Amino acid sequence: MIKLLDKPLKAFTTYALIVLLCSIPVYFIIIDTIWVHEIHERNQIVAAAVKRNLVDLNLDEDRMKSAMALWNSMQPETRIYEVNEYKADSTYNIYRKNRYMVDKGYDRFEGLVTYFKINEKPYSLTVEANVEESYETMIAITAITSMFFIILLVGFIKLNKRISKDLWKPFYQTLAQIKAFDLSSHKNISFEHSQISEFEELNSSINKLIDSNVAVFRQQKEFTENASHELQTPLAIVQSKLDLLLQDPSVSSVQSLIIEETNHALSRVARINKNLLLLAKIENQQFLEKQSVDMSNLIQRILDLFGDLFREKTIQFKINAACVVEGNIILIEVMLTNLLMNALRYTATDSKVFISLSGNEIEVSNAGTYALDKKKMFKRFSAASNHTPGSGLGLSIVREICNRYGWDVRYDYITSMHVFKVTFSTYQKRL
Amino acid sequence: MKILIIEDEPELAKSIESYLSGQGYSCELAVNYQQAIEKVSVYHYDCILLDLMLPGGNGMDVLNELKLQNKEDGVIIISAKNAVDDKIQGLKLGADDYLSKPFHLSELSARLFSVIRRRNFANSNIIQQGNLKIDLLAKTVDVGGNAVMLTKKELDLLLFFIGNKNRVISKNALAEHLSGDLADMLDNHDFIYAHIKNLKRKLTDAGYGNFLKTLYGNGYRWEG
Repeated sequence: MIKLLDKPLKAFTTYALIVLLCSIPVYFIIIDTIWVHEIHERNQIVAAAVKRNLVDLNLDEDRMKSAMALWNSMQPETRIYEVNEYKADSTYNIYRKNRYMVDKGYDRFEGLVTYFKINEKPYSLTVEANVEESYETMIAITAITSMFFIILLVGFIKLNKRISKDLWKPFYQTLAQIKAFDLSSHKNISFEHSQISEFEELNSSINKLIDSNVAVFRQQKEFTENASHELQTPLAIVQSKLDLLLQDPSVSSVQSLIIEETNHALSRVARINKNLLLLAKIENQQFLEKQSVDMSNLIQRILDLFGDLFREKTIQFKINAACVVEGNIILIEVMLTNLLMNALRYTATDSKVFISLSGNEIEVSNAGTYALDKKKMFKRFSAASNHTPGSGLGLSIVREICNRYGWDVRYDYITSMHVFKVTFSTYQKRL
Repeated sequence: MKILIIEDEPELAKSIESYLSGQGYSCELAVNYQQAIEKVSVYHYDCILLDLMLPGGNGMDVLNELKLQNKEDGVIIISAKNAVDDKIQGLKLGADDYLSKPFHLSELSARLFSVIRRRNFANSNIIQQGNLKIDLLAKTVDVGGNAVMLTKKELDLLLFFIGNKNRVISKNALAEHLSGDLADMLDNHDFIYAHIKNLKRKLTDAGYGNFLKTLYGNGYRWEG
């Protein structure tokens, strides 16, 4: 993922790079042409002056020869030779080693060969000048272009940062608020006013969206609570009718078994209903009273009850450090009961459930054969295994209670053990 | 023993009435707040079964009315709300017990039995059946003068049976009674066998006949 503002930055940078890269040959051609043109002009001027002066000297042939020899040995940039025929001017551009400074490597020369006549005899005059080598020009231009590119890049990044800080500030604020928003927290969201119409529009649209979501959420919670309430009475009627039916002396053993099985299913329905109601109540911010709860006492109390129900399973309770937690005793008891019940139900006969309590966390673990689906297990009605049907709500309730108090509950599958861990510390720190 | 059932759901009220009548209680019904107030003002009941959500008023106000008139009737709240606050408030206002819907009639009957015993026999609460004697205050049991040592669960179970004398009690009801809310989370209810077996053995050993009948393996009946 890349950030919004990095996208134009990348585009701008790429564009700048292309433009600057294209500019390198263009600069080079222009500068080199100007160079060569200027040198050519200078060569022409020098040639014209030399020719004119030589003609003006009115030298005879012998003296011309000695002057030529002297000239050619003294002036390396210009040479005069006797030629057989008079030709039009020509130029050349060559690289060669400097005769006097060999170490310097190749130099580039722009030369002009021109012709003139003294005493009807044709002579050639070569004027040469050192021109900046093309590759040196190229290097210089590339270096300068790169430097400008870097300056541009730094500028872009800095500008980008500043723009993002100022211009996009409302956007990021909104984003942070949406991120922190929790539908179930009963807290409303309020956005800061922005001078920019797009952001203002965005905020008001989000507000609308959130408002309707909150309304739907509230309705849903109320619906759950009301529906659960409404179900209790018909459930009670069915239950009572079954109890009455059982009193009938004409009930056969088969019918009695059916009644018992119906009873069993009915109590599961009642349980689901009760749990839904409990979840709705927790979400609706009931169970507000708080007290300090000594976890080891509470666990011991629950274990006393469980020991009777699960005779064939062993529960090993280890207290590493005392643990006192602030919260609603009913909720904490429900949480512990659900965690333990969960572990016990999925533990094979004759095997053990381990509870370990330390300063700020409780760990409940039992042996398992494969890891359960972490994502699904805390969701409502999504039994992580199809093993034995529970209410499908036990762990959702655990998570809901942990959410209420800002505790952390997590599941891990470590060395063939299902481990549920509730950490109270995050909450304690906040206190 | 006179019982007033204040419950607006006629089918449930009928079931309760039918079950309790079989137990020898005489039951009256009130189906709304107005009727309830009229009846509790005029008559005395050994126990009132009170639904909190009533047409025409709140069950809590019936409790207030009882208090106002200095009535000593026992009260068991039967509510669909299962709200802790209601429970606490109800008990504060003088209710003796709180039962949340849905419930087994045997559970209701056992609680009713216990409330009436507590109310009527405050000083010496002794249940006598044949040569079996249960002292509810001291929580002791003896058969023909020989003390029988029962665990808390076994005594609980014994009282549950006695509170449902001659009625068939489902295994499910027993499991729920003994495990509280947890019964439906259990895969089997075998844990109740151990308690019943022990209770039977101890009573038989002490010389009390076999009063507890097992029916088809799914239910129990205490005969007496």
